[in-house]
Amino acid sequence: MASNSPSSQHNSTLTISPLLINRRRDLFYVTPPTNVNDGTGAGNNDGSLSNVNAKKSSNLNSSKIFTSSTPASSSKLSRVAYNNSVGGEEEDEEDDDDEVDVGGDTRRARDEEKEQIPLSQADKLRLWRHDALMQHHYKTAEYIGDKVLALTNDPNDAFWLAQVHYTSGNYTRARKLLSGKREFDESVSCRYLKALCLTKLEKWDEALDIIGEINPFKNEQFVKNQDGGIKLEASMCYLRGLIYANQNNFDRAEECYKEAVLVDVKCFEAFDELIKNNLMTPKEEWELLSMLNFDDADNNNELVKLLYTTRLNKYINIKAYEEADSRLKEEYTLGENSDILLSRADLLFVQCRFQQCLEICEKILEKDEFNFTVLPNYLSCLHELGGKNKLFLVAHRLAENHPNNHVTWLAVGIYYLSINRISEARRFFSKASLLNPNFGQAWIGFAHTFAAEGEHEQAISAYATASRLFPGTHLPNLFLGMQYLQMNNITLAEEYLNYSYSICPTDPLLLNEMGVIQYHKNNLNQAEQFFQDALERAKDLNSDSKAWLSIHANLGHVYRRLRLYDKSLQSFNQVLKISSKDSNIYSAIGLVHLKRNEINKAIETLHVALSIQPNDPVATDLLKKALEENISSERNEEFLLKSEEAVSRYFKNSSLFKTKSVKSNQLVNTPINRMKNFNLNNKSTGGNNSNNLDVKVTSDIDFIVNDLKRGEDSSDDDGDDGEVMVIESD
Amino acid sequence: MDIQQYFELNTALRESSAKLLDLNLYQSSKWSSEALNGLYQLESIEEKALYCRELQKLRNQKYLASLNSEGGIDYDAILDEDKLTLAKNYFNCKEFDRCANVLKTCKSISAIFLKLYSIYLSNEKKSQEESENILDQQDIGSNNAIFTTILKELEIYKDFKDPFLLYLNGVILLKKKNPELAQECFYQSLIEYPFNWSCWTELIISLSTFDDALNFYHKFLKNSKFNSNRINKIILLFFKIVIHQEFFQQSFEIYNDLEFLLKIFPNFSFLKIQKALISYHALDYLKAEKIFDDILISDPLRLDDMDTYSNILYVMEKKSKLSFLAQFASSIDKFRPETCCIIANYYSLRFEHEKAIMYYKRALTLSKNCLSAWTLMGHEFVELKNSHAAIESYRRAVDTNNKDYRAWYGLGQAYEFLDMHLYSLYYYQKAASLKPLDKRMWQALGNCYEKLTKYRESIKTYKKALQIDQSMNNINNNNNNNNNNNETTGGRDPIILYKLGKLYEKLKEYKNCYYYMKLCLDEEMIEGMTDETSKARLWLANYEKNKKNWALAYKYATELNHGNSHDIEEARSITREARMRLAGTETDDST
Repeated sequence: MASNSPSSQHNSTLTISPLLINRRRDLFYVTPPTNVNDGTGAGNNDGSLSNVNAKKSSNLNSSKIFTSSTPASSSKLSRVAYNNSVGGEEEDEEDDDDEVDVGGDTRRARDEEKEQIPLSQADKLRLWRHDALMQHHYKTAEYIGDKVLALTNDPNDAFWLAQVHYTSGNYTRARKLLSGKREFDESVSCRYLKALCLTKLEKWDEALDIIGEINPFKNEQFVKNQDGGIKLEASMCYLRGLIYANQNNFDRAEECYKEAVLVDVKCFEAFDELIKNNLMTPKEEWELLSMLNFDDADNNNELVKLLYTTRLNKYINIKAYEEADSRLKEEYTLGENSDILLSRADLLFVQCRFQQCLEICEKILEKDEFNFTVLPNYLSCLHELGGKNKLFLVAHRLAENHPNNHVTWLAVGIYYLSINRISEARRFFSKASLLNPNFGQAWIGFAHTFAAEGEHEQAISAYATASRLFPGTHLPNLFLGMQYLQMNNITLAEEYLNYSYSICPTDPLLLNEMGVIQYHKNNLNQAEQFFQDALERAKDLNSDSKAWLSIHANLGHVYRRLRLYDKSLQSFNQVLKISSKDSNIYSAIGLVHLKRNEINKAIETLHVALSIQPNDPVATDLLKKALEENISSERNEEFLLKSEEAVSRYFKNSSLFKTKSVKSNQLVNTPINRMKNFNLNNKSTGGNNSNNLDVKVTSDIDFIVNDLKRGEDSSDDDGDDGEVMVIESD
Repeated sequence: MDIQQYFELNTALRESSAKLLDLNLYQSSKWSSEALNGLYQLESIEEKALYCRELQKLRNQKYLASLNSEGGIDYDAILDEDKLTLAKNYFNCKEFDRCANVLKTCKSISAIFLKLYSIYLSNEKKSQEESENILDQQDIGSNNAIFTTILKELEIYKDFKDPFLLYLNGVILLKKKNPELAQECFYQSLIEYPFNWSCWTELIISLSTFDDALNFYHKFLKNSKFNSNRINKIILLFFKIVIHQEFFQQSFEIYNDLEFLLKIFPNFSFLKIQKALISYHALDYLKAEKIFDDILISDPLRLDDMDTYSNILYVMEKKSKLSFLAQFASSIDKFRPETCCIIANYYSLRFEHEKAIMYYKRALTLSKNCLSAWTLMGHEFVELKNSHAAIESYRRAVDTNNKDYRAWYGLGQAYEFLDMHLYSLYYYQKAASLKPLDKRMWQALGNCYEKLTKYRESIKTYKKALQIDQSMNNINNNNNNNNNNNETTGGRDPIILYKLGKLYEKLKEYKNCYYYMKLCLDEEMIEGMTDETSKARLWLANYEKNKKNWALAYKYATELNHGNSHDIEEARSITREARMRLAGTETDDST
């Protein structure tokens, strides 16, 4: 056993839980619990009976047996343990038996023993205290705990009393108690709890002093946790990370969290922080996963590994994720579990399949209406799909039931954003970020409100905050790049986008933006490369997503400028297949036709553009250009020739057609002449207008085209911005 | 047509009517059954007996076949049957969303068709309800997202080549302004199932030029399904007639085809209407009116196409008949778009333009696709000098039916009114390409070029107008076998001639100018005196005066007795001067 040192960082609080006494009753009986200043909790809750017996002889006076269980330990375990301890007095819940594989034999054996061995006075008090804590009778727990501590003066009793204070929210008292004696400081569990209290009191520096700036156990060799709980060492590492994160030292925080997971894979808290806050790049995440030692989870190692796999980012290694997902479904029948569904929803969200994502989110929420992890996804899907009414309902329900949760105010903010009331949206996003300053989504939403109003400076500062909070995700940098792009600051935009690219080189949206940058820098071939790359990446994306469209549109523009008009038209037509509501696309197509001197087609397309957006300046200018081309004499020649065919066809036919008896003067009676007051010939009001026209005719087509280029591109960017905003506006 | 063919046609129509009804394609089903009832009646007893026996035999065969069908059971179809029944009932109660919802999990093709069709209809209904003001711009392509989802689902079933799914696909593509792909879908659908008249109609709507239409006709003609099957050929003949009608084409051939079909379907109102429309487009209003009168008697409660009848009456200015038609239509159904159009035409004829507009708007609220109402409303706005509203309604007219040359012409005029000649030129071009045989189109074009100071082009188009005018006259004269053969060179429009003269004057090509002015003046012999001939005379007088041909100048000037006071004053001064000069030269000579 490695637990001979006073610092039992390899153990969890399970070892010092009073309930363990049942498993090692023999020890407990032989050795009075007063003798405990050097805690060597040789806990082994899952060892076989023989193992326990072996220990009995070797470690007689080193047991640390204390009453009451930690709230942190899993409820199932404590309940089982509880049943063991209180045996006949409490009603056994039958389902427990199946779930604990601690070994029925062991228990039965112990039960037999129990009858023979009475508990000591202190132990009985400990059990009392423990039960009181479990049943949230804090006064009882405090009262009795105080008495036990007075009787034994044991650091572990101090720990449990402090635990009572902590759970009832008296952090200062807990801290005070734990600073009481020098021995307490030597106990790892006490130190951990003390630091935890200090973090609750937001005394970050003091907390850091107590647990140390670096892991004090770093150099000790790896020891497997024996009791099945979470190693205190890992918890301390996690706490250290938390403190660093609160001190805005995200690099250190990331390291500490990583260390925590590496020390004990069961420290999900740290893993969650890492993933949730995107502290690592996609690649690093997968690397970390491969480094993790899942042996700590014992026979659950496979399950835990699969579960963790599903939590990772969905940018790369989709295959590994799919495999884990299907194994979880088939082998563990966890297909309906909300976390598994949630990771599926994440994947769908990344792939822009909002409808399906929404369905899964709804499935989860059906079971658990206020599942705060799934709500952000759900809200952004609703926003994306225009489910204003549902957003309204969700936001209201949340506000009624959880007025103090940050997600609630995120929901309200998104609702206002989707009904386009920007200033209200901003207010609520800022409220959400006040409630939880580390809530990146709220910051991004906050920034989006500025971006939507064209307040680039403020948007940039808000995005910058978000990027500080989410160092491992490329999105804030992408948004920053986009803002700079809109401000026409190509250099800075490129810098941010490159940084973003270094984090995640696979996001089609990012590649799209990179392409736009190259386009602006006139590196058309490179731009094409980027767009092609983006398309390649977007293959898995849903093809009607707006992202996909804007890539095609941009590619069309690139081809247009490369004078590859056929390809350009192809790209634009791809866009039109999905969405025919964008006048910019029609303008662009019109421009291509104009360049190819297909005046009729150009005019027709531009008309469509104007029918969508009646005052579109680009389309109007282009149309004027096209119409001016239209009056050239070649065009007229062509036109006359064409009509000649039709006329001659007619005359050929009608020469056969002798029976027709139409008199020419009947022409006068056609409905056109209904416009009696509209005599053309009287209306010729002189050529005062033709002068203007002459001026316009002189302007060269390429001049206008160049003039328009900037306008068009930037309007494209607007579009891009919009959709990226939507995609990540959770 | 022999009895066998009669029987085949009869059966095909009857079956198609039942099948289309089963798919809730009411309009197509209506067409089929109307055609069925429009067939000629068998005369002789033997034929009737033969017909009944054949029919009975067929029914028996079918029954036997149904008893023996063990092989391919369509499990999906059988399992979906109950849901399909429920869905159809919802559909009939116009609860489209509910209908689609019931069929959500169904897999059979007919269930999927009904589901997507009802989603489509529900979307159409909603977008119609949401657009409050019919001149609002927003409703164009109102809900693309739904179209996209429908198209996506259709993509899955593309391999089945189900004619009705293809038809739906085409309809949606057309809505999304993708006519080429839509045409392909319609074509495929019709190859699979030619008796879906709505599909033919949509195909015709999607075509924008007569050449395209002819191409399609030939494509069908070459297809084995059509060139070997007599019955399908008849359907194709309908298509041929309608495209000729829609694109304002006239030919002897079409009249023959029409007569041929009318022999088979003597009681089919649709065919009669086509005939009337062709006459109408040929400007033979009397004939058109007569046909419509017949239809009113044979099928009195039919309102379809009666708005065209009212147009005819309007142009013929038959006020009382139009009034009767309006009353009659509104007694049948007040809220049919056709009725509203008729009433609007009536008000328009009474110069109550606001009321007319109100009724056109009502017609359009009832049906966005009421083709003629947009154009006619545009005309009314022009009457009210509201160019912008006129432009808007013409635009919508062109959007719904880009073959409507009147709307294009109207657009041209409205833009001309706003002095935007570049625009109006384009619209006139459109109109002229749709109706190249109408000299007014060319005149309008010429006028536009003149405004744009493109005199050469203007001259070309005016000459074109002149040429057409002349050829038309020639044909008419020939056709009438008329007596005044010596007039073949004449019959030219003096307005155009004068315009040409003026244009040459602007180009300072006085020789040509003189030539046309002279021609214009010559027309006076035939057509009588008009403003233009008088002006030409005045110009000639001036011309001769400048050339110092005083005698001629005097002659022209004295003959001028028509025109405004200014012209007459000018003529008088020329006369005076010429007389003086003539007198002077005489005195010079004498001295």
